[in-house]
Amino acid sequence: MILEFFQWIQSTDFMTFIRESGLTYPLIMSTHLTCIAVFGGMIVITDLRLLGAAMQDRPIADVINGLRWWKRLGFVIMVAMGIMLAGSKAVDYYPNPYFWVKMSFLALVGVHALIFRPSVYNHPEILDASPVIPTRAKVAGVLSLILWTGVLCNGRLIGYYEPPQQKGGVAAVNK
Amino acid sequence: MLLIQSNAIADALNSSEWVFPIAECFHIAAFAFSIGMIALVDFRMLGVGIGRSTPSQVAKATAPWTLLGLAVVLLSGPVLFLSDVRMYLHNPSFRFKIGALLIALIFNYTIHRKVALSDSSSAAVRVVVAVVSLALWVSVVFGGLFIAFA
Repeated sequence: MILEFFQWIQSTDFMTFIRESGLTYPLIMSTHLTCIAVFGGMIVITDLRLLGAAMQDRPIADVINGLRWWKRLGFVIMVAMGIMLAGSKAVDYYPNPYFWVKMSFLALVGVHALIFRPSVYNHPEILDASPVIPTRAKVAGVLSLILWTGVLCNGRLIGYYEPPQQKGGVAAVNK
Repeated sequence: MLLIQSNAIADALNSSEWVFPIAECFHIAAFAFSIGMIALVDFRMLGVGIGRSTPSQVAKATAPWTLLGLAVVLLSGPVLFLSDVRMYLHNPSFRFKIGALLIALIFNYTIHRKVALSDSSSAAVRVVVAVVSLALWVSVVFGGLFIAFA
């Protein structure tokens, strides 16, 4: 089922164009990487603020509210580029364990948002009103840093996976 | 050249298939971190980002983190470089990247720093400096990635 979907998406005209045109693929990858830098910085500074490690002279609400829509914009561009990168080589990605670990980390980022949005990100003014930064906010910040590091490292490692040689494949041909 | 090519670091890098990817993960995480911090200052100078704070406040708050990130970048980068000195030196994307990196670093700690820290800078100057800064760092990222495609 999943493999069939991956085969179909790779065979679409759009994905075939990306795969076959020499410069498009690295340009998309560079844009993906630039988004990681620019918008990843926004995630990191938010997490550091939640931990009380950076921007302590600014209210948490200013940091979270000021960056919210920029982070969302960056996330959309990053994911769009990612879909093109993976989609144009979907059949290669399918057996790649790092790809699935990365997707799992991304799913956990989603779970993190479901858990911490109501109590942390959607009500930063409550955190500011507290004399010390509440533990739940610090936990949210640490987990966010860990999860995004997992996404980033496994994303890079996708490029290092080599599919195992089919057993006897070469020998069979030689026979 | 042969001496550099066959150094202890290259041996270590090439002896284990994990050393290079791990060094690369550090390199990417750290450049994302440091460029992300610089971009926060740039966005503030463009009038967007962390609300109600001045560019100098953002610049001061991010400076130590930027430096930490750059330190890891500048430690892990040479490790990657030493794994295959000859290939990198002959790679046009690598040369472009190093050129852009040097200009970006100098710009960041001279003009960029001065304008960001001065709350009396005019809006036009801030916009120009922010755009130049973003363009330089994006060039470094693109140049770095294209090493693999050159």
